[in-house]
Amino acid sequence: MSERVFRFRLNGTEVEGRAEPRRLLSDYLRDDLGLTGTHVGCEHGICGACTIHLNGRAVRSCLLFACQVDGAEVRTVEGLADARDPLSPLQEAFWEHHGLQCGFCTPGMLMTAAELLETNPDPTEGEIREAISGNLCRCTGYVFIVDAIRAAADKLGARGAERQ
Amino acid sequence: MTEQARPSFIGARVKRLEDPRLLRGHGRYVADVRLPGALEVAFVRSEMPHADITAVDAGAAREHPGVVRVLTGSDELVAGREIRGDWRGEIWQTSAQPALAGDRVRFVGQPIAAVVATSRYVAEDAASLVVADYRELQPLTSARASLSDGAPLLHEGWTRNFFRHSHFLGGDPDAAFAAADGVLELRTATQRQTGMPLETRGCVADYDVVSGSLTVWMTNQMPSVVRTSLADVLGVEENRVRVVAPDIGGGFGVKAYLYPEDVVVCLLAMELGRPVRWIEDRREHLLAAIHARQQEHRVQVAYRADGKVLAIRAEVLVDSGAFSVHPWTAGLEAGNALSLLPGPYTIGDYECDAYAVATNKSPFGPVRGVARPAAALSTERAMDQVARATGLDPIEVRRRNLIDARDCPYTTVTGNLIDSASFQEALDRLCEVADYPQLRRQQAEAREAGRLLGIGVACYAEQGASGIHEYLRRGMPTIFGYETALVRMDPSGKVLVEVTTHSHGQGHETTIAQVVATRLQVPLQDVRVVYGDTSRMPYGMGTFGSRSIVMAGGAASAAADKVRLKLEQFAAHLLEISADDLETVDGAVRAKGAPFRSIPISELARAAYHQPHRLPQGMQPLLEAVSTYDTERGTGTWTNACHLALVELDPGLGLLDVQKYVVVHDCGVIVNPTIVEGQLHGGIAHGIGGALLEELVYDEWGQPLSTTFMDYLLPSATEVPRIEAHHIETPSPFSATGSKGMGEGGAIAPGPVLAAALEDALRPLGEVVVTELPLTPERVLRYVDEARGAAADASGDR
Ligand code: FES
Ligand code: FES
Repeated sequence: MSERVFRFRLNGTEVEGRAEPRRLLSDYLRDDLGLTGTHVGCEHGICGACTIHLNGRAVRSCLLFACQVDGAEVRTVEGLADARDPLSPLQEAFWEHHGLQCGFCTPGMLMTAAELLETNPDPTEGEIREAISGNLCRCTGYVFIVDAIRAAADKLGARGAERQ
Repeated sequence: MTEQARPSFIGARVKRLEDPRLLRGHGRYVADVRLPGALEVAFVRSEMPHADITAVDAGAAREHPGVVRVLTGSDELVAGREIRGDWRGEIWQTSAQPALAGDRVRFVGQPIAAVVATSRYVAEDAASLVVADYRELQPLTSARASLSDGAPLLHEGWTRNFFRHSHFLGGDPDAAFAAADGVLELRTATQRQTGMPLETRGCVADYDVVSGSLTVWMTNQMPSVVRTSLADVLGVEENRVRVVAPDIGGGFGVKAYLYPEDVVVCLLAMELGRPVRWIEDRREHLLAAIHARQQEHRVQVAYRADGKVLAIRAEVLVDSGAFSVHPWTAGLEAGNALSLLPGPYTIGDYECDAYAVATNKSPFGPVRGVARPAAALSTERAMDQVARATGLDPIEVRRRNLIDARDCPYTTVTGNLIDSASFQEALDRLCEVADYPQLRRQQAEAREAGRLLGIGVACYAEQGASGIHEYLRRGMPTIFGYETALVRMDPSGKVLVEVTTHSHGQGHETTIAQVVATRLQVPLQDVRVVYGDTSRMPYGMGTFGSRSIVMAGGAASAAADKVRLKLEQFAAHLLEISADDLETVDGAVRAKGAPFRSIPISELARAAYHQPHRLPQGMQPLLEAVSTYDTERGTGTWTNACHLALVELDPGLGLLDVQKYVVVHDCGVIVNPTIVEGQLHGGIAHGIGGALLEELVYDEWGQPLSTTFMDYLLPSATEVPRIEAHHIETPSPFSATGSKGMGEGGAIAPGPVLAAALEDALRPLGEVVVTELPLTPERVLRYVDEARGAAADASGDR
């Protein structure tokens, strides 16, 4: 099958991509670009492990073809904090509140939570639960994930207040 | 001078040391292993539950561009490669699962061919071109059908369709039933469910043709054991097999086997001399990774008017699928149900028949809780029915039947030795922290307002770490009763620990470090815990049951003690005092009572490696030790807990809203309370999924209907409530750390708790007995109708 060429920004860097039209974005990111932080748990759009940001919105990379990102801004978990930088406040909150166990759902969960906090900086517990209800976690029972996201909201809120 | 406290990390809420890499997306899971030149495998799977394969046409697949090899069940390469798991003793019939089915298939999803190609896309394209012809045989789709007269026999040489039948008789149930004030009967049922880790299975094999050595990256919870199994089945010398189980995205028991796909992937890598990779997709996982939990019980209970349960008679049928798995066998779930059905209660007279029945479904194996959810459903539902029959509160009935902790170590009727417990105390605590009387008032008020609130309670004893004696007693072919740790202090005084358990969410990199740092009196950040690579680690069993903190923690503390002792002996030689007069505190070995006479550990470590001339005569350089560990008597440790839930029923939609979930839990000494709570939450969420949502449905022709996450529903953040966990710590007298293990427990009780809560919620409508899980809306609505029917009958009678 002939390959398509596409251009997009990935975690802030310009990329010229090349992939068969049918190649899933999740496979392309993981296998062609080596960004294995994006996980694949079902490949049919239910588990949310493959969640990334496309133009600032959380989407499932297993439901997109790679060439569909042409012209878009893509962010993966690797883009939350550079490997040499400290963790982002959201990642830090997951660490402090034991919001992960095996870590398999974590990248998708973080990307969903990041979107939530960008659109709703002060969510209630119910809003948090609703927002992550499309991200399955088999390990944690969600309690500490909810706590982590709430704590991140507080942290980010305090930061915002400082800046003002 | 005042004694300086010995720093301890036991009980500290330390942040997990493994988290930063996982949070950054820098974990390394099997699917992340990329080897140059690797080929990808797609499996062709049986579409028939029970059939003879008459022909497999792989011609078109072989010709497909990019295909390197198509392997079918009749190929020489897989001839005779079979997986067996044989129970020892009792009544047992064996099965042999071929790596690829050649002539007969026994469940939908069984692999019949493997296509190797340059990419997974191409491999899947070609796999869809493989055509198999079948001669259909009668499928056996339930345990009852398999045991019925005239059912076709599933395996050669069998006399009836069960792997295992066990009979147990303890005490004198006949006399107890004769003397009872009342007898009641229950039929409980749990459906097929499984562990369902978010990461599917996977296997990447790399064979070095010149040296004949094989490296296999696997999603496996027990790398040592599976290495031996692979060597056996593949015929490769074990010292040339290296199994690497890197980061794993959850296991829950599902990844504690040698699977046929693993064997095929390795054989292909060996034949082709190129790395071969298989990453399972979710559909395959639902079809062919092990299933669990499907049981049917018939239970008779003899009780006294004061609520004391005297005796139980039970029949347990476990729908164990088509093949006995390795290394756990098809017999474990039936055996555990038989052994654990009397629960944490003083029931002295008990008789049980348990059958592991073969059916044309996916093979069956242990998953988080292993039979305990089904056993607890029967036991706890029985307690609730005794409460109803005697007019006592369900809490009171349990109080009158629970084992008295003062009688521990207590031997149950089936011979389980419960090391220590806090059964009564935990129940009292539960009533207190949940404010049980207030919940009853809240329920009464809600009922006044026409709302249906229900309260359910359950108690259990969770077998934590099982030791050598326990596995022997169970008749397991492999006796899993120990773990091993290597502790190595390097010349700079930093410590590397290798454990033979595998952490895939449980946080061993943190908790084992807490144990070792405490034993060696070094800073926590100086201890690094690794696992999962058989080329480095000593031999041990792996992670399953609820064993790791007891077994690996015990082994690590024993090995750390050996290193500390050596440091003390070396220091004694340098300081010219007896080692008995030395102690190791906070990074230094020092004279007791004269702490100014001390040598920092880092100095001792450097000298032990680089200045061997300073060592005492006969002492070898190097600071490392290996130790295995089993619990004191080899019987293991027991954790206990009580759970309570408050639910509201929507009788129109058949939905249960879990509004409150409280657990009081005693797993002995807690190394890291945050991690214990995380495990509890996860286990309870798993149990809530099992109680309300999850079901692997097969139709009457043996076709699986749950093949996506749209059919098999996992609980999401909107179904799992905020779980409240409270701890009691009764140290185990049988374990080195006083810990008992607790990974599975959460999953045991939600079934009976929510069944009881539904029954209780329905009470204003009418009396029913809820005995079947999961409580999907369909089943709940059936109970709602039944309750209304019962009420109508009752008023009709009047
Ligand atoms: S892998 Fe994309 S939603 Fe599950
Ligand atoms: S941490 Fe394992 S699936 Fe969420």
